[in-house]
Amino acid sequence: MNRATSAEAPKEQDLRFYGQPDPLGLRQLKEAWDSRELLLSFFQRDLLIRYRQVFVGVLWVLIQPLLGTLIFLLLFYFMGAQGTGSGSTTAFWKDASVILLGMLLWQLVNNSLRDATGSLVNYRHVITKIYFPRMLLPLSSLLCALFDLAVGGVLLIPLAAWFGQGLHWSTSWVGLLAVVWLALFCFGAILWLSSLNAQYRDVGYVLPFLMQIGMFLSPVVYGFDRIESSLSYFWQVVYCTNPVASCIGLARWGLLGSPLPPILGLVLAALLTLSLVISSLVWFQRSDQWMADRI
Amino acid sequence: MMPGQNPIDDSRQNSVAIRLEDVSKRFRLGTIGEHQRLTEAISSRIKSLFKPQTPASNAQPKDFWALKNISFDIQRSEVVGIIGHNGAGKSTLLKILSRIVTPSSGRVGVQGRIGSLLEVGTGFHPELTGRENIFLNGAILGMKRTEIRNRFDKIVEFAEIGPFLDTPVKRYSSGMTVRLGFSVAAHMEPDVLIIDEVLSVGDQAFQNRCMGKATELGNQGRAILVVSHNLAAISNICSRAILLEQGTIALDASPKETIRKYLQSMRYDAGRIQWEPEQAPASQEVRLHAVTVRNAKNPSSANQVDIDQPIVIELDYEVLVQGAINTVQIHLKDENGVFVFSSANAPSMSLQTDETFGKPLDVARYRTECTVPANFLNDSRYILSVFLGPQIGKPTIQCDSVLAFSVLDTGAMRKEFLGSWYGPVIRPRLDWSSRPIDSY
Repeated sequence: MNRATSAEAPKEQDLRFYGQPDPLGLRQLKEAWDSRELLLSFFQRDLLIRYRQVFVGVLWVLIQPLLGTLIFLLLFYFMGAQGTGSGSTTAFWKDASVILLGMLLWQLVNNSLRDATGSLVNYRHVITKIYFPRMLLPLSSLLCALFDLAVGGVLLIPLAAWFGQGLHWSTSWVGLLAVVWLALFCFGAILWLSSLNAQYRDVGYVLPFLMQIGMFLSPVVYGFDRIESSLSYFWQVVYCTNPVASCIGLARWGLLGSPLPPILGLVLAALLTLSLVISSLVWFQRSDQWMADRI
Repeated sequence: MMPGQNPIDDSRQNSVAIRLEDVSKRFRLGTIGEHQRLTEAISSRIKSLFKPQTPASNAQPKDFWALKNISFDIQRSEVVGIIGHNGAGKSTLLKILSRIVTPSSGRVGVQGRIGSLLEVGTGFHPELTGRENIFLNGAILGMKRTEIRNRFDKIVEFAEIGPFLDTPVKRYSSGMTVRLGFSVAAHMEPDVLIIDEVLSVGDQAFQNRCMGKATELGNQGRAILVVSHNLAAISNICSRAILLEQGTIALDASPKETIRKYLQSMRYDAGRIQWEPEQAPASQEVRLHAVTVRNAKNPSSANQVDIDQPIVIELDYEVLVQGAINTVQIHLKDENGVFVFSSANAPSMSLQTDETFGKPLDVARYRTECTVPANFLNDSRYILSVFLGPQIGKPTIQCDSVLAFSVLDTGAMRKEFLGSWYGPVIRPRLDWSSRPIDSY
């Protein structure tokens, strides 16, 4: 201690102090960006592990949404209630691309939330031994889910182009925008879920249940025209405040020319997403301080 | 900050590498992990809303200060050792320095890149190969990809895992894993390196190389902080040592002085430790009263025992619940923390059967005695830990380093050899004989 006083006092700017006040949690974004190489390492690790000792390899990414789409298509046709169209072959393929797009986007939400929720807890032996921006762990799960989506997107394009009425290239940027929006929503959700799960493990147990409900509250296996024909305008807006429903609806409108969800619903969903992202940044930065003590 | 292999430039040599300003860390006993489930947290919130004055919610959570008002600076090129008893706050201090844990008050500032090595091979994934793990572990430790690539060959060479580079780490021996982990960390070349007891893993040859590497890093002008129970290592590689006692700095001086103070501070130097009933280590069933070390022939306690006399370790305890089952176990370590032996009053570990072992006991006071044979320990200091509980290996009362005693060489064993016996932890008198077995 006496050395501290006898030592030449260093200039304050030379020392970097931990945990500077940062109410909006923006500094953690900068730190995360600074260690983007570590994020890539985590992402690479997650991908490598996923396909190690797996025979079919990357094909699993394609098989899952394809099988899902097939199951729901067959289910609808055998039950006599058509999914979204009217029963002709073109309509069948159109249904297929609508459902497939829904499945792919839903897979993004489902996989990122599922993997990210446990990401901090599964890595607690590292979190309690070394410091790195902890946000990278859930983010890596999100990257993996986005990777799956990209691979799946390759599947959708030929399907829609050959059998349906083709992709609507002029509005396809709206589809991309919807994907970015959905990724932002997932970002906010996984920051909340992963850090909450670090303290309360129930989050991990409740999540699969919530995801099942969420799947039916979002137009995953049915088109938005179903909602339009069965709900009043007010309830359509309420339905669309769910950002997942809005994103899927918007993406289908942009890419496949499906009906557009009500604008008011889209705006509300966007506001909801924005507040989710901001609150998650604030919360995550706070929870980061007790993370190693309580995880 | 400083990629490349070169020592840090001189202009920064004498500047502060790490500074602690009035750092404290508080743990709330009984609340950490209490609400593991969200429902519990919510229900306790609701309960406290409706009846805020229940005795349970009135009970203030006990605060435990793991660290209190710690301030110090560490300069570049200093190698600082941190010593202290278990629970003195060493690990918490390291975790705060390496930013894993946030202090309750005060702040920590560092200059340059900080590397912490609280565990070897942090983040190794068993499914990934050695090569992939080098990149992953290196990235977690804070290295850039290009840095890892540049040092890759050196890392592999130091770890001696060449032929197994593309084998999944799950097929490595534990020694290989440790070597690889240390090797990655040692090549990270941070400005500040924080090491916790990791030098005590691996075989002797590897440990020596680790020590060499640590000294080398210090010579390059990096600040190094080491926590270790190995006092010899601290005095060898450190230029300064800090003694922690109950979360505060008891002494910050040269390693020699600090180690001397540390050894003196072992309050248990009297050969006997006795507790008042309310302070005694106790479980719900048993309360420890005293632990004594003495010469077999002498009924009074002694912190120095003769090498040619059997040594008796006595534990006095009280059984508080009728029918409780109790076992007694002891650990003996030497001054450097080398584990000499462990024993218990179980039939398999005792020369004669201890009647109380595994039997329901009446409420009474008991004394358990363990005799260590004469001419068995070396002339050195030993540190005793005792454990009591219904089952061996699952103690409900744990007293680490409860007593220390010295074995004195009375000369009974050194009529012929007069040199130093320093080195071995035990010096048993064994059965020796020689005879001709062949005749021509």
